[in-house]
Amino acid sequence: MANWHPRAVTVVSWMFPFVAGGIGFYAATLATTDPFGIAVGVTVLAIGSLVEVATSNSGNRFTTGIAVAAAIPFVLTPESGRVDLAASIAIYGIGLAIVWALGLARGEKHVDVLPTLTRRFVGYVTYATVYSAMRVGAFADGSGGWLDLVPFGVALLAWIAVEVVLRAALVLRPGELPRAYLARSALHDLNVFLGLTLTGALFGELYPALGWWALPIALLPYSFAHSAFSRFQKTKVTYKQTIRALARIPEVSGLGVDGHADRTTELASAVGKEMGMGPAQVEDVEYAGLMHDIGRVSLNEPQIVRMGYTNGDIARWSAEIIAESPYLDRVAEHVRRQYESYRRPGEQTDPDVSIVSRIIKVTAAYDWQVHQQGLSPLQALENLHTGAAYEYDPEVVASVRRILEARGVLSPARA
Amino acid sequence: MKLKSNTALRGWFGRLRPTVQRRLKIAVPYSLTGILTLIVTYSVSDPPNWLIWFPFTALFVLLEFFAVEVNDRLLQSSSVMVAMTAGVIFAIQPDSDAMFAMALMGGMAMFTPLDFKEKRWFQPLANFGQFVMAGAVAGFLLDVNLGYLQNLTTANLVRVAVATALAALAYATVQSVLIRMAVKTVFGKDNLQPWSQMHILFLGQVAMGLLGGLIGAAYLIADREAVLVLTVGVYAIGHMSLYAFSQLRESHIGSIRGFVKTLEAKDMYTRGHTERVAVFAQMIGEELGFTGTQLEKVRWAALIHDLGKLAVPTELIRKRGRLDDEEYAEMQTHAHLVEEILAEVDFLQPMVEIASGHHSNFDGTGYGGRGHTEGETPSLEACIVGVADAFDAMTSARSYRMALSQQYAIRELRRHSGGQFHPDVVDAFEKALNKTGRNWGAPHVNDEEMARRLAEEPELTLRG
Repeated sequence: MANWHPRAVTVVSWMFPFVAGGIGFYAATLATTDPFGIAVGVTVLAIGSLVEVATSNSGNRFTTGIAVAAAIPFVLTPESGRVDLAASIAIYGIGLAIVWALGLARGEKHVDVLPTLTRRFVGYVTYATVYSAMRVGAFADGSGGWLDLVPFGVALLAWIAVEVVLRAALVLRPGELPRAYLARSALHDLNVFLGLTLTGALFGELYPALGWWALPIALLPYSFAHSAFSRFQKTKVTYKQTIRALARIPEVSGLGVDGHADRTTELASAVGKEMGMGPAQVEDVEYAGLMHDIGRVSLNEPQIVRMGYTNGDIARWSAEIIAESPYLDRVAEHVRRQYESYRRPGEQTDPDVSIVSRIIKVTAAYDWQVHQQGLSPLQALENLHTGAAYEYDPEVVASVRRILEARGVLSPARA
Repeated sequence: MKLKSNTALRGWFGRLRPTVQRRLKIAVPYSLTGILTLIVTYSVSDPPNWLIWFPFTALFVLLEFFAVEVNDRLLQSSSVMVAMTAGVIFAIQPDSDAMFAMALMGGMAMFTPLDFKEKRWFQPLANFGQFVMAGAVAGFLLDVNLGYLQNLTTANLVRVAVATALAALAYATVQSVLIRMAVKTVFGKDNLQPWSQMHILFLGQVAMGLLGGLIGAAYLIADREAVLVLTVGVYAIGHMSLYAFSQLRESHIGSIRGFVKTLEAKDMYTRGHTERVAVFAQMIGEELGFTGTQLEKVRWAALIHDLGKLAVPTELIRKRGRLDDEEYAEMQTHAHLVEEILAEVDFLQPMVEIASGHHSNFDGTGYGGRGHTEGETPSLEACIVGVADAFDAMTSARSYRMALSQQYAIRELRRHSGGQFHPDVVDAFEKALNKTGRNWGAPHVNDEEMARRLAEEPELTLRG
């Protein structure tokens, strides 16, 4: 699928509330639940969808609405009866049409709102449909035995599958990330997703017997989950900020090259994603890129000034500095070996040198040539090609070329 | 006839290493009280329905196995949820009581994998005792408050909630008191990191206990097995929230360690200096009655106080001989350069404010960044770091002079007390130093000139 034209996005986006809301209103006419019940469901879903739940930096946006949506088919199942699927769909459709309007009213962009809401709508409907279809035979006695949870489990898996597929399929922004990366990042915050749906299901199981008492009981685990997610996010943020601050230190102390670590990291991260890495490994690439020159802080040690140093020394010092910090220690080995040549003439390449190290090697060399030696991107790429398979990993060089081509910086006019 | 003291036993005890003695002083009474509690509760309360007790206890032990480190000394788990769910069910169901059931369940928490691996004997014994006591107290409260309920409906859910909250509060209180006592006896104050955010953990325990109990009641009312299955997921959420807590804390400590390591890589002289200043700052803070989070703030501020030096040329940091005025001014800027370096690290901002004021003087003069306003006294925390820094600067060797003696350093601190240094902080530091009985610095170097001469002409040796 090619990237969409911005105007097409706007047109399709304006159709969303009419399609979803239309399906919702039509479903409402088929529902056995009374309109008041549906209105309550719509309100709760819309309010829940306004409460954002913290996720890691994978780009997933989860709201409490997911917990509400998970509870709805449970609540709309009368004692030992069939699920009121029409009412569930009515609540999802009308509710998400309202959420769409609220989102635009809060100044969100079509291109952000549309994929998320489409994904949600299809996901919710799939979940409710599978749940409803599964509640037959032994799974439908409604007595609250553990078999009751089988339809829930199967429906949840179907929902997750929809999330993954649509996350990769709905690419509306030009230059968005590769689909494989997007699909993997949809699974990145599975704990948040499961925590939300689980508290929803707990409410749904308790509601028939306890009525609205189920709400405070389900809200307690929900609040634990909520605070846990925001702590996980803060943890990520702390590491990110720490690493950024550390990466700037050689520059602040006048021993590094302005912006070299940032630019190298940006290109290295793009290479990692382009080469099909998942979010966790891309993070390694980013951390290693930011940290690869931290060893330069040692450069004005009197002995070093006297004796001189090599790139290998800087790599070693950098690795030594970060090796003792938890979380950074895992990239220390990548940093330690990022200066090594791909292979020497007549020798095999060393399999112990990670792909992360090789990416840093190539991207750092590229940035050095462009910003320190003043070569044009095309000339720098030529140099990388010359060294490919000896100094540089040929696959990484090929990936850099594809990225630079896509960015359109290789035009000879700039040379 | 006269009673003779048991010298054999005392002699045996006295020959043990002091660390072992201190551990025995806790382990023996704790575990004996635990056993006694089990015997008493068994005799006064009905045994539980074992078919329900076993799976719950398995979950309880499982959660204890996955207990997370919340600080240097403590592990915490969400097992209180399981204990309270089971407790409420046993208390309300006829023919069973919660007291013995919860005490015995607690006793099963004595084993953690790490204790096995490192062949520890103290932790399992002490944990056995405190868990049994906590479980017995909570179970007793549940029995008293809920035992008479015949027919549980939503009408008496509020009563159940209140009783559960009480029991959870008692459980968490007993545990925290017993643990604090044990840590204080065994580890003393030495090497003990400040216990920060303990109130959050305590409230978290109470809330988890309440949640566990409510789910037990909800299960009894709804009479749906599916609820029990989902409950396992709720326990997992409880565990996740503690795990997130420990991860966040670890990220903070890791972040600070990363900065300190980098500073040490740039400047060897700083090695040890930051750590010592942190120790001194913590000593002063404790003497001034700081606790928990507040103490940790001072300690962390001390650890980052010199980060600004990363941006000062190393030649200047190392220079032999006196700095000229210009160099001195440049050197002093490091106090607020820490702000620039750490500007984007959110969690460190309160500490940055303290650290950037560590060269501000009590009388309002001196250098500093955000933490300093001309003519105003800097914050107490900044004064603490300032005194700790000055003391270590005097009592450790510099490139231009030898280390001075502790007596000289204290005399200097006292001489500038009220001007450069906060008088309360100086007093507190002196008291704290006297308590440790340790002596910092070179014992006989009692004047600045001599220290400088010794550094410049190392062949001169001290006489007398």
